[in-house]
Amino acid sequence: MLVNLLSRAIMMSTPLLFGAISEVFSERTGMMVTAIEGIFLMGAWAGFTTAYISGSLAMGLLFASFAGLLVAMLYAYLCVTLKQHQIVTGTAINILVAGLCAFLHRVVFGVPLSPLTVEPLQKIALPLLSKIPFLGPIFFNQNILTYIMYILVPLGFFIMYKTSLGLVVRSTGENPEAVDVSGINVSKVRFVTVMVSGLMCGVAGAFYSIGYLGMFTTNIIGGRGWIAFAICFLGNWNPIGAFIGTIIFGLAEAFAILMQSGASTFLPNELFIALPYILTIVLTISRKSFNVPAKLGTAYIKEN
Amino acid sequence: MDKKTRDILITSFLAVIMGLFLSGIMILFLGKNPISVFALLFSSMFRDGYTIGEIFVKATPLIFTSLAFAFTFKASLFNIGAQGQFYIGALTAASISLLIPHPIAIVLAIIFSFLFSGIWGGLIGFFKSRFKANEFLISMMSTYVALNFMNYLLRTVLIESKGEYPQTDSLAKSTWLFKIVPHTRLHFGFILAIVVAILIWLLLYRTTLGFRIRAVGQNQEAARMSGVNPELVFIFAFFVSGGLAGLAGVTEVNGVQHMLLQGFNPSIGAIGIGIAILANANPIGIIFASILFGALQVGGTIMGQISGVPSSIIDLMEGFVMVFVIISYFVRNKLEVNREKKLLLEGDK
Repeated sequence: MLVNLLSRAIMMSTPLLFGAISEVFSERTGMMVTAIEGIFLMGAWAGFTTAYISGSLAMGLLFASFAGLLVAMLYAYLCVTLKQHQIVTGTAINILVAGLCAFLHRVVFGVPLSPLTVEPLQKIALPLLSKIPFLGPIFFNQNILTYIMYILVPLGFFIMYKTSLGLVVRSTGENPEAVDVSGINVSKVRFVTVMVSGLMCGVAGAFYSIGYLGMFTTNIIGGRGWIAFAICFLGNWNPIGAFIGTIIFGLAEAFAILMQSGASTFLPNELFIALPYILTIVLTISRKSFNVPAKLGTAYIKEN
Repeated sequence: MDKKTRDILITSFLAVIMGLFLSGIMILFLGKNPISVFALLFSSMFRDGYTIGEIFVKATPLIFTSLAFAFTFKASLFNIGAQGQFYIGALTAASISLLIPHPIAIVLAIIFSFLFSGIWGGLIGFFKSRFKANEFLISMMSTYVALNFMNYLLRTVLIESKGEYPQTDSLAKSTWLFKIVPHTRLHFGFILAIVVAILIWLLLYRTTLGFRIRAVGQNQEAARMSGVNPELVFIFAFFVSGGLAGLAGVTEVNGVQHMLLQGFNPSIGAIGIGIAILANANPIGIIFASILFGALQVGGTIMGQISGVPSSIIDLMEGFVMVFVIISYFVRNKLEVNREKKLLLEGDK
C-alpha cells in the first residue's frame, strides 16, 4: 500500500518536474512561460494523436516535443521579439491552444463512438536496482520518462551553477544590460531558452496522455501546467528546489487518487481533488524569502 | 477623434478580421468552404429576434468577468481567478433564491453574491498585501478550490430533491430576473451589466479612489510616496474584482439557467480576460467587445448544430483574435513612436 502510494507519487511528479525545471530555466532568463498550460495541452494532444496513428509511443513523444516547441516559439515571438506582456500573451495562447486541440481532435478523429485509447508507456524494472527492498519498487520500477527525470535534476543543477551557459542564463534575468554589454544577445538567450522549455513541456504534457492515461480529453491537463509554474516559484528558481516541490505535489496527487478510489468516507472526495491547489496557496503564502530573478516578466528594451 | 483612438479602432478591427481569416483557413481542414461557413455564421446570428437576444444574453456574464480582470489590471494586478469567483457568486445566488422564493431574493442575491465573491477575491488581495504572496498564482489556484467547493455542495446539501444529478432544483419563478424583451431570453441582467460597466468607468476615471488605483498601477512606489497605501488598494481592487465576477453568477443562475448545474460555463473567466485585452481594459470598450464575443458564441453554436462545424471553432476564433490583438498592441506602439519621432524632427527644423 505505502509502496504503491510512493511509487505513484514519483510517477505523478515526473511531468511536473519536466515543466518546473524548464520554467526555472526560462524564468532565470527573465521569461515567465505563462503559456505553460497550453504547451502541456498541445503536447498531450500531439503525443496522443501521433502515437494513435503511428502506433509508436516514441513517435508520440517526438511530435509532442515538436508541438510544444511550436507553441513556445509563438509565445517567444510575441514576448521576446515584439516585447508584449507575458501574462496577457500567455493567457491568449492558452485559450488558443484549448480551442486548437479540441478542433484538431475533431478534424482528425471525427466523433468517435467509443473512447480512443493507446497502450501507455510500460514500466521498466531496472535489473538489480528494482530488487532493493522497499526503495527498489518505488524508484526503479518506473517508465522511461521518470528515469530521464532522475538525470534531469542533477543535470539541470550542473548546467545552472557549474557551466558558463548557466551563468549566462542567470545573468540574463538579473542584469540583462551587463549580458548585452559583454556581447551576448539577450533576446536570443531568452528566445532559445523558451524554445527548449517548450520542447520539455511538450513531453510533460504527453506524459498525461500517453505516459499514464493512454487517452486524450480536452481537460486532461486541468491546471497541472500551472502547478508546475507554481513549483518553480516555490522551489525558489532552483532545480533542486523544483525537485523537492514536485515530489510534494506528486505525493499530494497520488494521495488524492488513493482517497478517491474510496479509502475514505468521512472526508469529501472534492477536498482531495483540491488538495494540490490548496497546497499551492498555503505554500505561496507561507514562503517568506523569495529569490525572484530581478528582471522576471519584463521585456528587455535596448537603449539607443 | 484623436490619432490614438483612431489607431486603436483600426488596429483592433484588423486584428478581429485577421483572427477570423486564420480560423477560416482552419475550416479548410474540415473539407468545408470557409466563405459559406462564415456566411452561415453571420446569417445564423441574425436569423430571428430570439437569436439576436441570445447574443446579449451570452455577452452579459462576459461583461462582468471581463470587468473583473480589467479592474485589477488597472492597478497592475492580475486576477486570473474570475472563474472561481463566478462560481462563488453563482452558489450564493442559487442558495438565496432557493431559501427565499420571493422577488426580494433577487436583490439579496445581487448584494450577497457581490459580497461573498468579493470576500473570496479580496482574500487574494489580503494575501498579497499581508504576505507579499504572488496574486497571479493564488488567484489561479483559487478557481480550482472554488470549483471543488461547488461540486461538493452540489453533491450534498444543494442536490436536487430527486437526488439524481449534481444540480439544484429549479428556482421559483418569482426569483427569476425579469425579461426585458418578450419572446427572447434577454433578461434584466444585461442592463445591470451595462450600468455596472459605466459605474466602474466612473469609479476608475472620475473619482480620487479610481485615480489612486491607477496610480498604484502606474508606479507603486511613486504612489506610496504621495500618500496612497498600495496594500489597501490591493485588497480593495481584488474585492471589487471578485464581486464583479460574482455578479456574473447572479445573471447566469437567476437569469438564464434558473438552477445551479455542475461545471456550467467553464470558460467565461478565461474569455473575460481575452475580452479585457481586446478592449484595452476600458470598461466601455468591454461592453462592445463582450457583445462581439457573445455574437461569435451564438453564431458558432448554431453553426455547429446545422453545418457540422464543431463549436470548438469559436474558441479557436477567439484565441486567434486575441493573438492578433496582442500583435496590434505592438503595431500601435510602433505607430505612436514613429509619430513622435516625426514631431521631434519637425521641431528640430
